[in-house]
Amino acid sequence: MSIFEYNGSALVAMVGKNCFAIASDRRLGVQLQTIATDFQRIHKIHDRLFIGLSGLATDAQTLYQRLMFRHKLYQLREERDMKPETFASLVSALLYEKRFGPYFCQPVIAGLSDDDKPFICTTDSIGAKELAKDFVVAGTAGDSLYGACEAMFKPDMEPEELFETLSQALLASVDRDCLSGWGGHIYIVTPTEVKECTLKGRMD
Amino acid sequence: MKLDTTGLESALPLFGANCQMVDGFTAAPAFDLPTTLDFDGFQKEAIQMVKPAKGTTTLAFIFKEGVMVAADSRASMGGYISSQSVKKIIEINPYMLGTMAGGAADCQFWHRNLGIKVCRLHELANKRRISVTGASKLLANILYSYRGMGLSVGTMIAGWDETGPGLYYVDSEGGRLKGPRFSVGSGSPYAYGVLDSGYRYDMSIEEAAELARRAIYHATFRDGASGGVASVYHVGPNGWKKLSGDDVGELHYKYYPVTPSTVEQEMVEVSGA
Repeated sequence: MSIFEYNGSALVAMVGKNCFAIASDRRLGVQLQTIATDFQRIHKIHDRLFIGLSGLATDAQTLYQRLMFRHKLYQLREERDMKPETFASLVSALLYEKRFGPYFCQPVIAGLSDDDKPFICTTDSIGAKELAKDFVVAGTAGDSLYGACEAMFKPDMEPEELFETLSQALLASVDRDCLSGWGGHIYIVTPTEVKECTLKGRMD
Repeated sequence: MKLDTTGLESALPLFGANCQMVDGFTAAPAFDLPTTLDFDGFQKEAIQMVKPAKGTTTLAFIFKEGVMVAADSRASMGGYISSQSVKKIIEINPYMLGTMAGGAADCQFWHRNLGIKVCRLHELANKRRISVTGASKLLANILYSYRGMGLSVGTMIAGWDETGPGLYYVDSEGGRLKGPRFSVGSGSPYAYGVLDSGYRYDMSIEEAAELARRAIYHATFRDGASGGVASVYHVGPNGWKKLSGDDVGELHYKYYPVTPSTVEQEMVEVSGA
């Protein structure tokens, strides 16, 4: 198994009508053995910006700490929060700095930019940005997630429908992957509120 | 009338195949060799293809009322789950069961071969059923003759014969062990933990079934390559009977129901940016 499959992960972000949702699984494993079933993969940068980090868990934690540090410095200097597009460029630059000894992570960035327009993007492990208008996926269950999202996605979904669609897509995909699952974590972000839910999934 | 044993004659010279005392029914069936230039390299690749495949949890134990056999039902290819509904407990004949771990094709074929060519033929030739000891020994010898050729079989033969309940572990390296409790597969360490701590010889059938079910459930929880349905079979003096097949996802919430938790954080109004 490759280094990206050492810990196992599943991440997906989807765009709705003036809102977005980002979801992950909750398993932390060491190859086939499950160590924890409450691992936090999605982190809040600020109220309108979330980042999920898939791949090697230690690199995900370190990368998150470095990004938080850079964002806090930005907040002190600029006296405002970073826009999602700017943050995505920051992630890309930080990853390319390590071009010849990379972080074994694949981040998924999701945020609300100007005029409450949802923004999602993913990068590969050395910082190539991929902007999408509908959904982005990452992790060991990535291939299954592509299939499930492609089948279930509709443009301009309201937050409740987006929650249902994303949860079903995530749970269906992780049920075909040995290395991810054991529950789900989902954040639904609208301009006025952030809703965080835990999903009840198969624990095998 | 002489039995037609042309199907049993081997093109490969096997150890002891020229022995007269085997009476024509213990020589392994012949297989054609593949037409390659590099036979050893081909064999190595074949072994590597099957190698990661012992992703499973199976267990069996002897107790007062017979033998309890249980297994999960997941088939995995590396990280991908190819099926959640594989039958890993193979019914060799009405009073003997075999479990599957390793290569599915290998286990299915050799168990069927054991049931038809070995056990049934023995019954017809000797007018009495074959013992568990005998069946497991014949399987072990067949697998030993294919040693190094890339078969992947980790099986337990459980049955009830004249001497009572019998349980043997047989693998593709040619090993054969007699014992009261076994668990095979990538999830076996987790199953052993539950099985060994809860085991008593004098359990009732329901208690033993619940122990087996719990052990499989705990293995599916911790092991990524085990999951699906936990099947439990019981082998008694009148043969085997399937006791239950519970979906492991539902078993989790039965053993650990979700309780409503206290609210940690109230929703706060976020001022629009």
